[in-house]
Amino acid sequence: MEFDDKVPIYYQIKTVIYDQIIAGQLAPGDKLPAIRQLAVSLTVNVNTVQRALREMIDEGVVISQRGRGNFVTSNAEIVEQLKQELIDRYLKQLYDQLHRLNISDEQIVNEVTAYIERQGDLNDDNTES
Amino acid sequence: MTTTLKVENLNYRRNLKRILADVSLSLTGNKIVGLLGENGAGKTTLMRLIAGVAKNAKGIISVNDKTDLATRKSLISYSNPLGGMATNKRISEVKDFYQQVYPDFDEQKYNQMITFLKLDESQRLSALSKGTREKLVISLTLARQASVYLLDEPFSGIDSMSRKKIINSIIQWKPADSLMVISDHYVSEIAPILDEIVVVKDNTIVVHKAADTIREESGQSIEDYYESLYGEADSND
Repeated sequence: MEFDDKVPIYYQIKTVIYDQIIAGQLAPGDKLPAIRQLAVSLTVNVNTVQRALREMIDEGVVISQRGRGNFVTSNAEIVEQLKQELIDRYLKQLYDQLHRLNISDEQIVNEVTAYIERQGDLNDDNTES
Repeated sequence: MTTTLKVENLNYRRNLKRILADVSLSLTGNKIVGLLGENGAGKTTLMRLIAGVAKNAKGIISVNDKTDLATRKSLISYSNPLGGMATNKRISEVKDFYQQVYPDFDEQKYNQMITFLKLDESQRLSALSKGTREKLVISLTLARQASVYLLDEPFSGIDSMSRKKIINSIIQWKPADSLMVISDHYVSEIAPILDEIVVVKDNTIVVHKAADTIREESGQSIEDYYESLYGEADSND
C-alpha cells in the first residue's frame, strides 16, 4: 500500500487496521495476521508494525494473547466508540472548514442534506445503467 | 544492553584527501537504518571500514562490543557487489563459493529467496541484468546468519518492479534480531521501511534520527527533510 511519507507510518498502519475494523472487514474477535505477514503485506518495517500494535493494544482495540497472537476486541462498545470517533473527526474537518468561510449552521445542514440527495440520485443512475 | 554497532571518532584519509572526519555512531537493536548522503559523501567508505574490507582508519569500530577484525567480519554480512567473481561463473558456482567461505550460510533460506526472486541458477554472471544481479547479491547477503547486514546502494539503477521485490525480500528474510544498514542517495523508495536515518555530509555524520520522529516533529517526508539538509549552505562535496 502507498503511505503518505509526511505522516508517521505507525499511525497510518493503525488507521488502516481501524478502518478495516469499522468497515467490518475485521470482525470482533478476529485474529490479526502475524506481525511479519502484516509487515510484508503493507511493505513496512516489522518494528513499525509492532509499535502500531502496541498502541492499538493500549487503546483496548486489540487484545494480545500470549502465544496465540493478536485479536480484535470482542467488546462491541469499543468498536462502536472507534466508529464514533472517526465520524466525529471527519465531521469536525468538514464543519471547521465551512464555518471558517462564514457559512451558517443552518446552511451547512441544508447543503449536506442536498448533497446526500444528489449522491443518492447518482448512485441510482449508476445502478440503472 | 550491548551496542550492536559502534563507531567512535573514526578518521580516514586516502591520498591526502580527507574522506571521513570524526565519525561517531551507535546503533542498537533489530532496526533497519538508512545511511543517506550524496554520491561521494563517504557512505561506501564508511560501510567498507565497518565491514573490515577497507582498513587503516583511525578510531574504533565494534560489533556486539567486539573490536577485532576476524570477529567483526564473522558478525557482519556485507553486500559485496560480486567484484572478485569471474564473469563466466554461474550463479550456482557463486553460491557454492559463498557456502564454502561462510559457515553461517543458510542454503535453505537462500533457496527460498532465489525462488521468490525467480533467479535461474544456471545463468552466468555476465548475462545478468543490473536488477537480477542485485537480487543475487541480496540473496547471498541475507542467506548468511549475521548480527549486522550492510547493504550498499541495493537500489541504484534498478527498475521499480525489482526494487519492490528486493524490499519485500528484506522485510521477509531479515532475521528478527539483526541490525540492517542500507545506504542510498535517493530515500523516498525505502523510507517506509526505515526505523532510523543517518545522514553523511561533508565527511561526517550530521543527523541520526528516528524516521517517525522526523515525520512527527517536522511534518515533512523523509525525502524533504533530507533535502532540506542540503538546502541552504552549498556543500563542496
